[in-house]
Amino acid sequence: MYELAQKGLKAALSMGADEAEIFIGEGHGTSFDIRKNEIEGAKESTSQGLGIRVVINGAVGFASTNIMSRIEDTAKNAVSSAKVRESDPDWKALPSDEKYPNVCGIFDTELKNMELDDCIKKAIDMIDGAKTVSNITVTSGNFSRGFGKSLILNSNGIEIEEMGTTVSGFVDTITNKGETSTAYDFEISRNNDIDFEIIGKNAAELARRSQDAISIDPHKTNVILHPFAFSDLLDSTFVPSIDADNVQKGRSNLINKLGEQIAAENISIIDDGLLDGGIETGRSDDEGVASQRTNVIENGVFSSYLYDSYTAGKDNVKSTGNGSRSSYFSTPSVGTRNFIVDVPGSDIIEDTEEGIFINTVIGAHTANGISGDFSVEARNAFTIKDGMIDKPIKSLMISGNMFDMLKKIDGAGNDLRKVGSTVTPSIRIPDMSIVG
Amino acid sequence: MHSVDFFDARIVEGTTTSIVLDNGKIEQVAVNYTKGAGVRALCGGSWGFTSADGDFDIDKAIASASELAVSMNDKSPKENAKLKEIDNPSVTDLPKVKIDPQDISLEEKVRHLQEIGSYAQKDGISSSSAVYSESAVKVTYIDSNGTKGEYDLIRTGFAISAVASENGVYQAGRESRFGVTGYEIFDQSNAEELAENAANTALELLSAKPAKGGSMPVILDPELAGVFAHEAVGHASEADLVLEGSSILENRIGQQIASPLVTIIDDPTMHAYGYYPFDDEGSQARKTTIIENGVLDSYLHSRETAEKLGGVPGHSRSQGNSKPVVRMSNTYIDSGNSKFEEMLEEIRDGIYLIGSRGGQVNTGEGVFQFNAEKGYLVENGELTGLIRDVSLSGKTLEILNNVKMVGNDLSMNSGRCGKSGQLVPVTDGSPHLLISEALVGGA
Repeated sequence: MYELAQKGLKAALSMGADEAEIFIGEGHGTSFDIRKNEIEGAKESTSQGLGIRVVINGAVGFASTNIMSRIEDTAKNAVSSAKVRESDPDWKALPSDEKYPNVCGIFDTELKNMELDDCIKKAIDMIDGAKTVSNITVTSGNFSRGFGKSLILNSNGIEIEEMGTTVSGFVDTITNKGETSTAYDFEISRNNDIDFEIIGKNAAELARRSQDAISIDPHKTNVILHPFAFSDLLDSTFVPSIDADNVQKGRSNLINKLGEQIAAENISIIDDGLLDGGIETGRSDDEGVASQRTNVIENGVFSSYLYDSYTAGKDNVKSTGNGSRSSYFSTPSVGTRNFIVDVPGSDIIEDTEEGIFINTVIGAHTANGISGDFSVEARNAFTIKDGMIDKPIKSLMISGNMFDMLKKIDGAGNDLRKVGSTVTPSIRIPDMSIVG
Repeated sequence: MHSVDFFDARIVEGTTTSIVLDNGKIEQVAVNYTKGAGVRALCGGSWGFTSADGDFDIDKAIASASELAVSMNDKSPKENAKLKEIDNPSVTDLPKVKIDPQDISLEEKVRHLQEIGSYAQKDGISSSSAVYSESAVKVTYIDSNGTKGEYDLIRTGFAISAVASENGVYQAGRESRFGVTGYEIFDQSNAEELAENAANTALELLSAKPAKGGSMPVILDPELAGVFAHEAVGHASEADLVLEGSSILENRIGQQIASPLVTIIDDPTMHAYGYYPFDDEGSQARKTTIIENGVLDSYLHSRETAEKLGGVPGHSRSQGNSKPVVRMSNTYIDSGNSKFEEMLEEIRDGIYLIGSRGGQVNTGEGVFQFNAEKGYLVENGELTGLIRDVSLSGKTLEILNNVKMVGNDLSMNSGRCGKSGQLVPVTDGSPHLLISEALVGGA
């Protein structure tokens, strides 16, 4: 891998690049799909590819391939794509001189070496977990285990190699007797520490509890959003506005808001590339900048945008280590690391006399990512009466604005949960409008 | 490898070029060259699947998929799966490309996109972006029954978006066209006018009022109605979802499930973005009528689901070298004979919903939610105030039955559809629809 990267770097520089960067990504995965209570089959995938970024006279070009014998052609394509661009005055330089912190909990040998039999057993555990609840079918589901490696090399002396493992489980369930209702649950981890039976059981119980739903009239009330629902909304309505690229392009609701109170006083949000065992944890970001912890909201005050090295150069600040690539074939752009919502918790349902508890939403990605306005369908929603979950609700839409919501949040649960890379408890918002 | 009942392999080789402009400035130019293979093997009722990237050894990939299938069948045996037999696909009607995008220089493409993007940079627009992409792909298919097929396909397209802002309010407009055509797509679709439209939508939405929610009669424009056809009906008709028990259309073949005015078709042979000559398991592409005059006529099938439920295969697709799953292609509600003016007259008071910002559907319970790009209040049969942040939700079967008028103005929109973590090119479309009652969500 290292020799290959060296070869690519040399090729790019010899073709006239002033600066060059090689990103190599490699992945090995095993997964099983579940269909109607059975494991449909096994999948194994291997992938390896590289992306070359070059800079010529302040213009950036990029090309990628998964055919390692074509590394020189790829360097040539990167160089010619840089040459069609004019010099970009905002371009500073590829990262250099980084000191990498140590991180832990992202590589588990047990996961990397897990035998097929053990993987199958975990997938079956999910189905068995669901079967502990009567009249439930697992319609679909998935178990995945993966091992990945990446290497970044640039002409400014950056050399960083990382390895990690992940494992995840997901099930979707439906009731097969009485009123039809569905529910899902999932977990993802870097370590072999997931209880797969619980995933199945949780989904099944939720589908079951959602039967015999009632209709409700439109009104305003306390709404408690489960970590699934809240993280989904947060991703679509808040995250785009802290992306420095959107800010610089005038597509953010948080332009010129640094230092302002944008959320209730007891709310903090941290972007953390170093979290032990975090899904987005690593020593560096995807362009070789050292990972760090960034306070985005500190006690309600907006304290930082998130930067990759390009947007940081444009604002004359340091990158926050948020250069992110979805694959070797993409150029880096701003992306969150582990995104942690910190609100003091309590027995939130018990503390709520009347309101609505919403497990998941559908349609969050249709929200307005700039203004923060959303209007989504709530799923597996329940009324809350006298501090207890009461009745399931048939059909419910909630709408609002994330930035208004952040100021109004008046409580959170003790149920902190890793929803992928977002870490959040259940969140309560008073006076939200709902349409039944 | 001889211990398996079936195997197949799909080799995909392609080059893609993309250009991204932001406010007229080049943000990204990228060229990607990839090759890969997806190999399946079936043993009893168990599938083994291997995907390989780059310089792979196809025999090794087949051996490893076979090994997985055999070992799965050993460890979690289940009812044998059978595949519908197919003929060798014929590739006779590939779209003709007038201008091969690979004959146009990168410099010219950048210049052209900049010119088109400039039409979106109107007064009041705070930022705009333009994206161009082209791909040339070669697909080769073989299976253990001797089926063979091969084709080359070029896809091109562009998208323009504009954002307008005023007093802390941000609104966006977006237009895009993608197809199985060459570089002529810019001329065919009048790109400059589309760029202006994107800007105009963003600007006019600044002064639009948020919608008031509730249950009411609605008119859907062809784009939003097309999204309904695809998301709410198309997905529920995918036979894999039917078999796993997560479709409201299970056991409904032959039943009247919609107003007799409704006919819904999925047609991969149409020369639109969802086109393919044969699907990703070698089955000839065929036009499939999902609903005919309100009666559920057919699901969409793979070779496995067609054998199990009785049907015609041809709707199994994959992204790159992933495992094929049952998918749509070009999905539309067929034209009726009502005029838009007649719909306004009929609805009297309600909402006219236009465009789509996406949506989601739960096929098991048959509920959906879509966000419109914008809408108009209809009062006394006239379009009055412009509204924004408006969404439509409801039960698929109720909406299908509440269709009171179907327009004569079918038009298609291109996009990409996600399922099982894979994106594939599709189009969806419809004429205008009048729905007697639907749940509209607002702020």
